[in-house]
Amino acid sequence: MQAGLSTKNAPSIWVVAPHFLLGPVSFLLASLYLLANYGALLGYHINAPILTVLHLMILGWVTMIIFGALYQLIPVVMEVKLFSETLAYITLAGFVSGLFFLIAAFMGYEFQLTNNFVIGGTLIIVAVLVFTVNTLITALKSEKKNVSKLYIVSSTIYLLLTVMMGLFIVLNLKYAWLPKAHTEFLETHVVIGLVGWFLMLVIGVAATLMPMFLIVHKTRKDFLRWGFYLINAGVITIFAITFINQVPVIVSFIAYLLILSGLVLFLLFNYDVFSHRMRKKLDVGMRLSAIALVILSLSVISFILVYFGNSTLGFPAGRVEIMAGLLLVYGFFTGLILGQTYKTLPFIIWLFYYQKLVGRQKTPLPADLYSDRLATIHMYSFALSVLLFVAGLLFSLEVLLELGAVAMVFTSIVYGVNVYRMIFHKKQIIK
Amino acid sequence: MIQKNFTEEELKVVEVLKQVPDPEVGVNIVDLGLVYTVIKDDEKKTLTVDVTLSTPGCPVGDTIIQHIQTILEVTYPEYNVTVNLVWEPQWTPDMITEQGQMELNQ
Repeated sequence: MQAGLSTKNAPSIWVVAPHFLLGPVSFLLASLYLLANYGALLGYHINAPILTVLHLMILGWVTMIIFGALYQLIPVVMEVKLFSETLAYITLAGFVSGLFFLIAAFMGYEFQLTNNFVIGGTLIIVAVLVFTVNTLITALKSEKKNVSKLYIVSSTIYLLLTVMMGLFIVLNLKYAWLPKAHTEFLETHVVIGLVGWFLMLVIGVAATLMPMFLIVHKTRKDFLRWGFYLINAGVITIFAITFINQVPVIVSFIAYLLILSGLVLFLLFNYDVFSHRMRKKLDVGMRLSAIALVILSLSVISFILVYFGNSTLGFPAGRVEIMAGLLLVYGFFTGLILGQTYKTLPFIIWLFYYQKLVGRQKTPLPADLYSDRLATIHMYSFALSVLLFVAGLLFSLEVLLELGAVAMVFTSIVYGVNVYRMIFHKKQIIK
Repeated sequence: MIQKNFTEEELKVVEVLKQVPDPEVGVNIVDLGLVYTVIKDDEKKTLTVDVTLSTPGCPVGDTIIQHIQTILEVTYPEYNVTVNLVWEPQWTPDMITEQGQMELNQ
């Protein structure tokens, strides 16, 4: 065997697959909970149903799948084996049990500290700490120096900071260590989580995968390097001013501007990759990813609108925040995960079943392990649900939000069926 | 080095290698331009193939190498098969043949 290849660095299927089994369950539960509480979308953005759905989506769905996918992608990006699979199992156990308590806490949330918050928050912090240690040691073992690695390592540190900040917020409600408005800490928690953790990670992984899947060699890595500095400067500033009193508003304005500039550079990087791609015809995974990137652009616009305020735009309090959050968490992150699942999961399953048979017998290809039809169906239902949600929020129409939630439930079921079919694949030999 | 001229026997080996697909894109490695040299020595009974990958981090890299090794050993059982993974010259999308480009976008 040759040195420096990734197949032998690939993790065991047993490390990756549980995340893809549990993620769709959280997605379905979040969709059903939203269907039962869709009216909450028209209220103020900090309420129990919204926070429950948000945390179920962010932690149980998006982070769960990202953990599983990262264990598979780290060997590709860093060209090194994951430091410890045992630590990955410990992370999963702590994360799932912590999530259980945390969701129970949010379902009955009344702005008070409960035992469920403390237990859930602590378990999640421990799980994330173990994940961070595992990722950082893996990165240290890797000799590869690239922009992807920079983004991934930074995002992992932001994840740890996010969950610590989350627990701090609920503890501060009771003990008032820092006498500042609850919403200021919440804003920082959201920015570090969504931008520092998710976006930085997505950019890091996309920097390697987008050109690889679309067959592009010369990419605008300079966009990503500049983006790295701009986004970090913005996120660190937002974090720092949370703990300083009476900072002029212009400072946070500049910080958000830095983040937005970094995001625009990421979008330009992707535009360049898509324009120069050798592989003109996009498969369903890449079509979903392209849709997600378009939604990210809309989300960026919505976040700019947040700055102008709801009253200026004629919306009730919290509406633009909900729209921007929905476009980012459901539209962008979910869209990207739906698409990239088909670019990652089939490979680890294919390697598990067929690696030893290649050359000896005719085997299916990784793309044959999932139903392209089902994936196409949930691509349309996903896009439809995003449109219905946005229209429902813009025109304050509950019926559109209900239909959006129905389409979201449908999307989660169809996606789940396709993923479970892949994981419980029966070995086939083509004659 | 990329081999420009193949003997008739070596072209037969190239045809065999067309049965090896890149599992991600579904196009064979010859039309993707991943096969750089094929040297078949009938006296020494050796068969040496230099191949590259589209990217060093290719997640199915050594599965492709294994596929080449196995298919050549099965097709030429009396030959000693060596598959070398090379990174020079670096592969670029321009190396994809017209047939490969067509299959890529089918």
